[in-house]
Amino acid sequence: MAKKLMKGSEAIGEAAVQAGCRLFFGYPITPQNEIPEYMSLRLPQVGGCFVQAESEVAASNMLYGAAGTGERVMTSSSSPGISLMSEAASYLAGAELPVVIVNIVRAGPGLGGILPSQGDYFQATRGMGHGDFRLLVLAPWSVQEAADLVQDAFDLADFYRNPVMVLGDGLIGQMMEPVEFSSDRQPIKELQPKTWAATGCPGDRPTNIINSLFLDPEELERHNWKLKAKYDAMTRDEIRSASYAADDDYDVLIVAYGTVARVCSTAIDELRERGVRVAMVRPITLFPYPYQAIRDAALRASSVLVVELSTGQMIEDVRLALEGARPIHFHSRVGGMLVTPDEVIEKVECILAGGAAEVSHG
Amino acid sequence: MSATVGNVKFKPGDYKSTLNPVWCPGCGDFGVLNALYRAMSQLEIEPWNTVILSGIGCSSRLPGYVNTYGFNGVHGRALTLATGVKVARPELTVIAVGGDGDGLAIGGNHLIHTARRNLDVTYILMDNEIYGLTKGQVAPTTPTGDKTKSTFWGNPEPAVDPCELAISTGATWVGRGFSGDVKLTTQLIADAISHNGFSFLNVMSPCVTWRGDDQFKALKEILAYVPEDHDRSDRREAMKYTREKGVLTTGVLYEVKGPSFNDRLEEMKQQAMAGRSEPTTREILATFFPKF
Ligand SMILES: Cc1ncc(C[n+]2csc(CCOP(=O)(O)OP(=O)(O)O)c2C)c(N)n1
Ligand code: SF4
Repeated sequence: MAKKLMKGSEAIGEAAVQAGCRLFFGYPITPQNEIPEYMSLRLPQVGGCFVQAESEVAASNMLYGAAGTGERVMTSSSSPGISLMSEAASYLAGAELPVVIVNIVRAGPGLGGILPSQGDYFQATRGMGHGDFRLLVLAPWSVQEAADLVQDAFDLADFYRNPVMVLGDGLIGQMMEPVEFSSDRQPIKELQPKTWAATGCPGDRPTNIINSLFLDPEELERHNWKLKAKYDAMTRDEIRSASYAADDDYDVLIVAYGTVARVCSTAIDELRERGVRVAMVRPITLFPYPYQAIRDAALRASSVLVVELSTGQMIEDVRLALEGARPIHFHSRVGGMLVTPDEVIEKVECILAGGAAEVSHG
Repeated sequence: MSATVGNVKFKPGDYKSTLNPVWCPGCGDFGVLNALYRAMSQLEIEPWNTVILSGIGCSSRLPGYVNTYGFNGVHGRALTLATGVKVARPELTVIAVGGDGDGLAIGGNHLIHTARRNLDVTYILMDNEIYGLTKGQVAPTTPTGDKTKSTFWGNPEPAVDPCELAISTGATWVGRGFSGDVKLTTQLIADAISHNGFSFLNVMSPCVTWRGDDQFKALKEILAYVPEDHDRSDRREAMKYTREKGVLTTGVLYEVKGPSFNDRLEEMKQQAMAGRSEPTTREILATFFPKF
């Protein structure tokens, strides 16, 4: 298929349609309304349905019901709405149902603001709800990557029978970029028939019960370890990261994800032109986190700079990756303020001049 | 599973699952379960084309006792789960069940909106006027003044009549049964399932453990069958039979016909798909999954 100029939110919606998503349940919240709106137009055209629920609690539990039928299903929301969906996320993980959840993160806490933020990193990567579970989290930095990751998200959700989150921000949603959808896309995982689903059947097999309740502690412990084995398999097989300008030697390694990494790449281009040796590693999966790739890349540098739109969330994973092996510096803007390339340039120059304090987390 | 395919009719016992109910002896929910088995048998419902969904509560254990597909879902969310299933698979018979706390307190908002949409599912609310599973706290249907574990000085709140709520928010079939009258409840469940659109059945179902043995007797005294000549298609008339002090009317209170949410979605789909040649998402999915 030819490239087409698309808004991020439309590309996300279209990617889902192309991946066979048949049902979408949502509730309006800025800045992601364009996704459900697009789905309300698009899904009926391909034999699907869009439902605007009475709340995110309702939408995510509708998703739970629909996922149980084995259909490919999706919702999207933004931070406060995602909090309301944390209930269903936990049940979905417990009942092992595949869904795709898009979070177009806005600044918080509370109602906060509607501008981009990465303040939901902990929420996304540390389970998103009660109980001991994980979401697989994908963070695109461009519209094309958002579309690709949404399609992959459906395969990963089906393969692991686990919710998958695509974490973006208002920039990804609003950006217009050329996007290409392959016309004969194949799933990225080998998918099994959904024998567990409530599909209706002519009595040729026992009916299924979908459940997340295990009152017998021994049984629940077994279930918990079974889930853990899936998270381990994700950690073994699904880690993705990309590096930028890392073929040449570098003194400073930037770690950033999502649209912030885009900003950093602009800064790196400029710095490189001036002869400053700087590179970037960009996590694409936030869970599982590319600890090893970051460690390996960092060991080639003399110091590391984490750039993110929060007061310090992903930096904790970078610290886990480095275990003190290199000094870590931090630059961030929050509240919906954006990091600019100039700020990054200034910070890198400051680090190289020995003027930037190492971040210490006590 | 002893139910067989073909012309053989299902006996009520054929719908039993292998789980034994863990309800307290004498719990009203047994009557509802028996009525459901009988109604399903009467309608010759195929268990493999049926999904029963619930929230959390004593009553919400019911799906486990029927050999259909089942969901023991999230507290208060039976109807949202049912929406998901029914929108995904309109061809299935979808029944939601649960308690008064589940359906009217934490899930109250969903009742309003599922009724308003006229989703084609049946909702059986097992009303014991108390929170059973959590051991006896006040519920939205507990009569004013009643002492419960969480209303030491008596319930300061007025009770809601679930039937009145359902009628006023758009349910197109509304009835009230009593678990002590299995014959009546069977008929009501069968009627409710046969209805196209949102059918809401409030079954008074005593909790012997937290409302005492008296509840059964007290309910029996205030129950009255709706008059033979009641015009059930008249909303105003129907409202006359919502909970009055001293009387609780059983039977079909309200019934009107019209397109369900699913009918409307289907119509919209047909309209949107007209003249297009791209593959449907079902067709896309079929290329991914060997057997789905
Ligand atoms: C979010 C959440 N809050 C509270 C509970 C605890 N809880 C379980 S069932 C229930 C209410 C039970 O009453 P009802 O719905 O009337 O059903 P019954 O047990 O009487 O059949 C409550 C409060 C829960 N499971 N989840
Ligand atoms: S506590 Fe009440 S509602 Fe629960 S099983 Fe016992 S009698 Fe039934």
